[in-house]
Amino acid sequence: MSGKRVASSLVMLVSAAGLLQARAAPLDEAAERYRPYMIEGIGSALAGARDLREQVAADDLAGARKAWLSARAGWERSEVFTAGFVPELDALIDAWPNADSGFHAIEARLFGAGRTDVERDTDALVAHLDDLHRKLREMPLTPQGLLDGTVRLAYEVGESKADGGESRISGTSLEDMRNNVAGIDLAYRTIFADALKATDARLADTVTASIDRLTAIVAASDLPHVDVRALRRASEELVVALQAASAKLGLNRPTLEAQSR
Amino acid sequence: MTRPWSSIVVTAFAVLLLGVRTPASAFPVDGDQTTLPAKTELNEDAIQRPREVFRSENSGRKSYLVNLGDLAFNSPSILGGVARQAGMSCGTCHVNGAGNAKFFMPKMSTRPGNFDTTGPLFNPKADNQLLDPVRIPSLRGARYLAPYGADGRMPSLRDFVHNVIVNEFAGPEPSPVIVDAIVAYVQDIDFLPNSSLGPTGRLVGRISESERRGEALFSKPFPNDPAMSCAGCHVPSGAFVDHRQHDVGSGGLFKTPTLRNADFNAPYFHDGRFDTYDQVVAHFDKVFDLALSAQDQKDLVAYLTAVGDGMQPYEQDGAGSSLKEINDFASVLATAIPAGDKEIVSLAVDTIGGELRELTERYPDRKNTSVSGGEQERLGARAMLKEVVLMLRRIDIAVGEGRTADAAADYRNYRNLMFAAVPSTLAGAERWSLFNPAVHDRHYGALRQVMQSRNPSR
Repeated sequence: MSGKRVASSLVMLVSAAGLLQARAAPLDEAAERYRPYMIEGIGSALAGARDLREQVAADDLAGARKAWLSARAGWERSEVFTAGFVPELDALIDAWPNADSGFHAIEARLFGAGRTDVERDTDALVAHLDDLHRKLREMPLTPQGLLDGTVRLAYEVGESKADGGESRISGTSLEDMRNNVAGIDLAYRTIFADALKATDARLADTVTASIDRLTAIVAASDLPHVDVRALRRASEELVVALQAASAKLGLNRPTLEAQSR
Repeated sequence: MTRPWSSIVVTAFAVLLLGVRTPASAFPVDGDQTTLPAKTELNEDAIQRPREVFRSENSGRKSYLVNLGDLAFNSPSILGGVARQAGMSCGTCHVNGAGNAKFFMPKMSTRPGNFDTTGPLFNPKADNQLLDPVRIPSLRGARYLAPYGADGRMPSLRDFVHNVIVNEFAGPEPSPVIVDAIVAYVQDIDFLPNSSLGPTGRLVGRISESERRGEALFSKPFPNDPAMSCAGCHVPSGAFVDHRQHDVGSGGLFKTPTLRNADFNAPYFHDGRFDTYDQVVAHFDKVFDLALSAQDQKDLVAYLTAVGDGMQPYEQDGAGSSLKEINDFASVLATAIPAGDKEIVSLAVDTIGGELRELTERYPDRKNTSVSGGEQERLGARAMLKEVVLMLRRIDIAVGEGRTADAAADYRNYRNLMFAAVPSTLAGAERWSLFNPAVHDRHYGALRQVMQSRNPSR
């Protein structure tokens, strides 16, 4: 390649990078607008976990179960960012199936064995959520990372829960899905919707319609009434649309597994 | 992967699955929120799967119609609400065209390996208010085994397939091409080869004395009715059937089942009441007053075991066999995409996507406590499988919008990935996957332990 061609290629590359930056800048601001919601979501999980600790100390099984459910809801709404931004804490908090600690270890005792002897696990859960809650205030947020997380969660929502799902002991798999979809909706609307509407209104409508379809599907009365075929289709159509949106937003194609970039 | 159907053949003879490696105990459906009754056992975690042999692959390759039938047979979409919701298909019961001896569904089964096709769960309109399950039969060699149904009520396989879809499993009226395709697929499933059987059904080669004596007893007239013999119904030269129904003291008229490959078809009799050939022979001895000595019974069992054998009846479940099946399914897209056939494309995308999602879960994610090591390999495998699921969805969307050229381009990319990068990526991650028996047992052991916390009395 001649020196002239190299120079012109570099100019084009720099221009393209500048263009990406110009497009990404509003997204950086939008990502910052999302931060309070992240803090609120994990804050809700933390409040639930602290309540759980109190109920466990009082040996109140019904109260402990209620507090676990509350903590779990906050966590599930936050799964857009947990796997990508804090993978180590995510693995400690949400390990499965027979975890030594975290939500599912406590779930098995409370909802399975009907016991409240989970002080140590609850202390660990509170500590991990507290750690995460503090980190969220300073953690660098990238639109790319948040799009990756949104896409991964959109794909995951389409997985079959015909066998009872991940939270089969507590029976909250459908509630998990609803909170996941709510988390996707919030992240998309807060961070990406306006920018995408400005560059490709039709694609933005497609994304919104897919999220609406998912919301309607998981509004079913119970897990056996979730239309699994429609759910999977809507999930995959949303991911395909968000993959197309990434280019319009000046971002890379989203990864489908955390840490696989 | 795959799911229930019904019964084409009833059994009178066969053997336990000796020497087959299976998990310590299988993993049942559980929880309060499942479509199927809690404690349903589909045996989907089996690490050994029946080997499927196709007649058309003896000298050529499977046709479009056979592959489409195999796809539909393994698609929950063609069945009705409950089965579809539960992700069940014909292949759930007839795994790779064989049976499913571990299948058990409370309220629909009385023992593992049988199923009530007129029960309350799948089509309440067909519920006969009786718990009268029939054995889940193997479909190997079905083209030789008319009439169909445990009681042989249907001469036509096509009518039988239609009845299973619409009446037994409350599915929507299938298009004629789907019924034709399933019939073509079932008729293509061959018996496993058995080198001990000659062309006329006589034992050949190195035969033991006991087997030889058993063969003679099999053709010997019954003492109290010289017109009858075992071979009179199980005609050796005719796939060991006579295409007729008989009352053999099991509660009615039932079709003569084949003895070919029956070693792998337990439980036996129309309702699966017997686990072993010994029990079957003892039943016939008693009902027909055969006065068999203990040695006679052993000889008959030896003969039946020799007749019922088959070459390599099981194969280890692995990424290779899963991808082969998926690639066979996907081959229908090569015809359906250029034709703009939205129905077939959607059926293929939904079914193959479901299979690929299940395959993805064989590679545990980061949060799974059952496996350590190989994290990057596992994540790489998962990411690649998810990518091909989405490529298929793009094909479905493009065909739905009439953009067949775009769909064809995506299909070419899909095929390239599935024949090169995907197999090598999965092979690199296999030792940390559920295809590794040690990881498999840890994973399902962990799930079982969690569920036992819910049911500590088990």
